[in-house]
Formats: sequence, C-alpha cells, structure tokens
Amino acid sequence: MSETSTTHSGQPSAGGRGPLRAPSFSLGRIWTLATSTFTQLVRMKTFYFLIVFALVVVAVGNLDLLYTAEQKLRVIKNTAFGAMSVFSWLFAIAATAMLLPRDLEDRTLYTILSKPVPRLEYLLGKLGGVMLTIAIALLAMQALFTGVLWVQEKIALADAYADMKAHSNFTEAEIQTRLRMVAEQGVSWGLLSALWAIFLKALVVTSFTLLISTFASSSLFTIIVGVIVFIIGHFHKMAVSYWSSALGEGALAKVFLKPVELIFPDLRLFNIVENIVGGQPVALTALAEMTGLSVLYAAVYTMIGLYLFIDKEF
Amino acid sequence: MSDTAAVEVRNLTKVFALSLRKQYVVAVEDLSLTVNAGEVYGLIGPNGSGKSTTMKVVLGLMAPSKGTTKVFGIDSGDFRSRNAIGFLPENPYFYRHLTGEETLRFYGKLCGLRGRDLKERAAEMLALVDLEGAKDRRLAGYSKGMLQRIGLAQALIQRPRLVVLDEPTAGVDPIGSRKIRDLILKLKEDGISVFLCSHLLEQVQEVCDRVGIIAHGRMRREGRLHDLIAVEDQTEIVLEGASPELLARVRELVEKEGGGAVWRRSGHPRTTLERLFLDLVGTKENEGK
Repeated sequence: MSETSTTHSGQPSAGGRGPLRAPSFSLGRIWTLATSTFTQLVRMKTFYFLIVFALVVVAVGNLDLLYTAEQKLRVIKNTAFGAMSVFSWLFAIAATAMLLPRDLEDRTLYTILSKPVPRLEYLLGKLGGVMLTIAIALLAMQALFTGVLWVQEKIALADAYADMKAHSNFTEAEIQTRLRMVAEQGVSWGLLSALWAIFLKALVVTSFTLLISTFASSSLFTIIVGVIVFIIGHFHKMAVSYWSSALGEGALAKVFLKPVELIFPDLRLFNIVENIVGGQPVALTALAEMTGLSVLYAAVYTMIGLYLFIDKEF
Repeated sequence: MSDTAAVEVRNLTKVFALSLRKQYVVAVEDLSLTVNAGEVYGLIGPNGSGKSTTMKVVLGLMAPSKGTTKVFGIDSGDFRSRNAIGFLPENPYFYRHLTGEETLRFYGKLCGLRGRDLKERAAEMLALVDLEGAKDRRLAGYSKGMLQRIGLAQALIQRPRLVVLDEPTAGVDPIGSRKIRDLILKLKEDGISVFLCSHLLEQVQEVCDRVGIIAHGRMRREGRLHDLIAVEDQTEIVLEGASPELLARVRELVEKEGGGAVWRRSGHPRTTLERLFLDLVGTKENEGK
C-alpha cells in the first residue's frame, strides 16, 4: 500500500503528493506525442500500402521480359525505390497536413496544450510521429525489397554462369567479369544510402508541410501548397538560373530570386538515389553534406513553424 | 491551505481583430475575478458573453490584449502554470483511436507520470469515473456521457490543484449530470479549487461557493452565492402539517398586526424537475438491481 493516502476524488490528502512539476524541456513528452501520432497513423491503416508495395515488387521480380540480368535487377531497384520515394513524400505531405487541423477541429489540442506541454514539444512530437511512421514503413519496404532482390540476384548469377559455361568460348576471367557486373546490380550496402536519402527527403518535406499547417486554414490548403512547394523544390534551381540569365544581375533579380532560393528546399539534393540505383558508389562526404543540409532545412522550417504557432490563439 | 489565489484575473481585456478588415470585437472588457484556493467558483453568463474566452486566457490558449491572469501566482502564459491545472473542455473529443486506458496513460505521460505510478493512477481514475468496464474500448465507440467522464478523468490524472470545467454537463443526461456534480463537491471536499463555466444556473447554484455573472464581456455581479441570491426584504416561513385554519389565522395576523408587512403567497414548496426525475428514475433503477 502506498504511503500516499487518497480521498474520494483520488486526490492526495493533506500531506500526500501534490501535482507534478514538469521540466522546461522533456524528450519524454516529445516521445509520448510522437508515439501517439504513430499509433494514430498506424490505426488509420497506413501500412496497408505495404501490401501493395509487396505485390508490386514481387510481380516486377517475376516479370520475364527481354532484359539482361543486370537490367532486370536495375528495374527491381528502380521500381522499389520509386515506390518508396513516392510513398514517403506523399505520406509526409498528406499525413502532416491532416494532424494539426484535426487536433484543432476536435479540440484535442486544447486538452494537450492545457497540460504542461510547451508548443515546441507539441510540434516536435507531431514531426517525430510522422517520421517514425515513415522510418518504420521504409525499413519494412527495404527489408522486403532486399529479400526479393537477393533472390533475383542469386538466380541471375546462376543463370549467367550456366549460360556462359554452356558456350565454351568464354574464359574464366570473362565469366568472373560478367558475374561481377551482375553482382554490382544486386544487394549492396550502398542501397542503404538510397534509403537514407529517401528518409531525409521525407524529413524536409514533412517539416515544410508542418510549417504550412501552422498557418493554413485547412488540410486541403496545406496539401495543395505542400505539393506546389515540392514541385518547386525540384525545379527551382533550374528556374532560378533561367530567370537570372533573363533578368541579369540587377537589384530586381536579387529581390525576386533570393527569397525563392532561400525559402524553397533544393530537393535535387536527393537525386543521388538514381546514381545508387545505377550501381555508382556514393562518397561519404556527399552523404554527410546531404544529411547536414536536410537537418538544417528541417530545423529552420520547424523554427519558423514554431514562431507562427507559439502565439497562435485557439 | 495556500494563501495564493488559484486564479487571479486582473483587468482582463481581450480584443479580436476580424480578418482582412480593420474591425474589432471586444470579447472581454476590464474583467477581474479571483478564485480562492479550495473554493468552487462559477462564471455564468449567456452564450457569447466571454466565459470561454476568459477560460482560454486562464489556460494559456489565448494571450490577453490587456491585463494579467495568474494561476497559483504563475502567469498563464508560462506553460508551467499548467502543472496545477486539470481542464475539461465543453463536449470534449479525444483521440478516437485510443482506448479509455490509453487516453489516460497518454495524458498522464504528458504530465510526467511514468511506470507503476501512471498505471495505478490511470486505474484509480477509471474507477472514479466508473469506466473500468470500458477501459479497453476505443473512444470512437464511447457515448457523449462516457466521453465527458473520461474527460474528467484525464483532467484529474496529474492530481491538479485547480480544475477548470467548461460546461461540464453539456449533453449529459440527468444521472450523469448528478454524478459530475457530486464529483465537483468531492473535489471541493478534498481542497481542490474548481473554476466552472456554465449557463446552467441550477447546477451552479448547487455547487458553487462564489459566482461571477458576466454579460457582453463585462462582470455584472460577483460575490458569495448565498448573498447574491438572498432577497433582502423578504422572509420565507416553511411549515409542515399546517391546517388551512392555521394558515388563515397567520394570514389574518399579518394583515392586522404586520406593521406594513404584506402577505405575498402560501402554498406547497416546489421541488425541481431534475430532482423529481432523479427521484423517480433513480428509484426505478435501484429497484431493478
């Protein structure tokens, strides 16, 4: 029996424990909000997408088209990473756009913010929850796709070896070169770099969508603006260089183009996925630079979001 | 008991700007009130009178345009003031994907409860609001009354010193309403301050020590309920088993020797409809058990 005696309403009697004192910043509270968001998204049957993904990857792996072994493995990687990329950015925009307006509409936000929860922690919890869901979904997809790729790689290597052996005019060195070329398109640690790039891209997309939702009037508005920002993020470097040459180096160009360059994320940063799928190695420095820039983008967007959210009245 | 007031609102003014036009609405104007530690305070007023706005400023969900609000001496804008507050909004909606128990654990964790303490506290609160049997059901399947009760449980999860209730019996049937009222009285018994916003006057009359009446954003009257509702120049005599002859003689006496006193009325005192309903329905339910 606890030493704290309680009364009718479960409150501590005189001399019992009083209300808790909350710390100014708590990773525990952020984790609580993040796991709650994760549970919410999972119970919305988000992971049903994994079934579709599994069917697509297995189907592509078993397609018997007129590909070479390397081409077949590359098609599997392209399809899998393409699906993972589409899932992650689409999910990042749609799920994030829904979270804040729903909390506000249902007045759940009142009950959360009337507890000792700073608004920064609320935003970080929501961001964390979406990222946790994306991370687990990506890891599940990666595991599934790696399994399919590994099986297909073994089949391709065995077929290539048997095929070349059947033609007695190939030397052992030529056979080994061919097998290495096939293996280069198979399972490798480099594929994890592509997964990491997709995750970081989702982080940037989630954080700018969260920023939009702090001032947006509806989920639909957030989704539309999020998609527009996403598209601009892929083309703004191209557009900026085109407009710079058209407008010249004048003050007008600076006033117009600089904000565009600074506000919109450069999502071409994550195009290294294509190189990895092509079997090209990625330098560690490039990965570090991509990671640093992504974290910086996410931090800046979250801070601007907090600036807009901190004085928001409900 | 602490001398610091549970809630102290001083000269609160809240102005809302209407979007895209230079027009303003004054929701609350120069409002002052104090909820003393351990008392039940009722803020009553018609819809749109500024009750909810005042409450939201106290909870830190809105910032005052002018004036100050403090909870146990801490400014409402400081999130630490919410350590001491348990809040039940009007018609509360919680995460529908969570079960009753998960909901309490979620709010408990936000308040810093962990492990065994959290588990025991959640069980204690479920028992308090009589939802032990529904603890594993998702809130999507809860009735309005059950949502209100789980709302009360989450408000109390961290052992607050102040409970803020916004229309706590809105949409709840008379039996549920009675349970909530009993719980408010228990909170008071335990020394918890209660700040109650309602437009149900009978409910406020039954539980509140002091009352503030707000209209058009301004405080119209404030004071002890007993003093506010007493009609100073009238006296009530309640007799049991009085014959018509006795009543006639008393009336005659008043008319002859009353010295200016006027006989206003006599008759059987009335109970309230709510009490009659509860007597009938409550008895039937008890018989059925």
